[in-house]
Amino acid sequence: MPGKGSNGADPAGSRDRELWRRSRGVEARVDEAERFLDLAGFADGRLDDDDTARVAALLARDRAAAADVTAARALAEAAVTPADERIVVHALSLVDAGAGAEVIAFPPPRRVAAQPWFSAARWSGLAAAIVLASWLGFDLGSGFYEFGATARSPDDVSANELIDSAPLVLRDFTENSQI
Amino acid sequence: MDGGDPLAELLAGGRRSWDGFVRRYAALIVAAVRGVAAGSGDIEDLTQEVFVRLCKDDFRLLRSYDATRASLSTWLTIVARSTARDALRRRRPDSVSIDLVPEMHLKIDAVEPVPKLKLPEALLSPRQREIIGMLYDGEMDVAEIAAALGIDRQTVRSAHHKAMLKLRAHFKADMG
Repeated sequence: MPGKGSNGADPAGSRDRELWRRSRGVEARVDEAERFLDLAGFADGRLDDDDTARVAALLARDRAAAADVTAARALAEAAVTPADERIVVHALSLVDAGAGAEVIAFPPPRRVAAQPWFSAARWSGLAAAIVLASWLGFDLGSGFYEFGATARSPDDVSANELIDSAPLVLRDFTENSQI
Repeated sequence: MDGGDPLAELLAGGRRSWDGFVRRYAALIVAAVRGVAAGSGDIEDLTQEVFVRLCKDDFRLLRSYDATRASLSTWLTIVARSTARDALRRRRPDSVSIDLVPEMHLKIDAVEPVPKLKLPEALLSPRQREIIGMLYDGEMDVAEIAAALGIDRQTVRSAHHKAMLKLRAHFKADMG
């Protein structure tokens, strides 16, 4: 009588069967807190037979966890040397002295832009750069025209007038060709 | 090493309790870290990572410790080694030039990923899984299972009961 108890009744019920079927399709969540307790309890020999067998099976497939258990057992019986005072002081500083068991948050990176003088200096700098760029552009432009006006020979001027489209429109080339 | 109740004092109190906790367990934590990272030169940094993890989020990890299930020293050793190992993995470069790896190591998997578990493997003992599997997958009854495994019927029923309690608790916690 498959799936039935010795008295013919269903010992587990269809809900348990469904739960079992469902559980086999679910991937186990990694609950680290539970895992630490399992491993520590196993190392201390405090688990019941079922949990001992369960954790032993897990350790068989996780060599790092098995090494942790071995190390925990060894350290429980070993005399450890005192920690370096620098390590202790650093660890002490993690919890704020004034606020009970409050963990100190590391200060965020300093935001220079938040300071008012920096903002004013930044805008002033930008304005000065615009003024300087405008003046340089004007000055260079003036120099260019002065250069054009003074450095050209009369032949260049004539040639320029020939090439320049505006004078060509206005000038009457027939003037000198009259007979 | 577990005399008194430093953890209760720590979780209830402030700075002075943290001082006592650190001074009491720093040596153990350093020793545990050294077991994982011997020769790495990062013992101090790794030890700090352990302390940070312990007090992070208002001592969330420390609050998960259950004195009825393990001693604090053993639990701290497990936590310290796991934390240090995780930190070392994060610091390790993602790739190494193949020229730098001795040929013999190329034949071995450098990383040993632990395969993900299905729920029954994580929650139930091998015997419980076997019994539930025989009952529901093998369509065997209690008497047949008891005879096949050489155990009495009450043991079969007890294993089934405990296993189902764990599965129900898991799904209840998951849904609630």
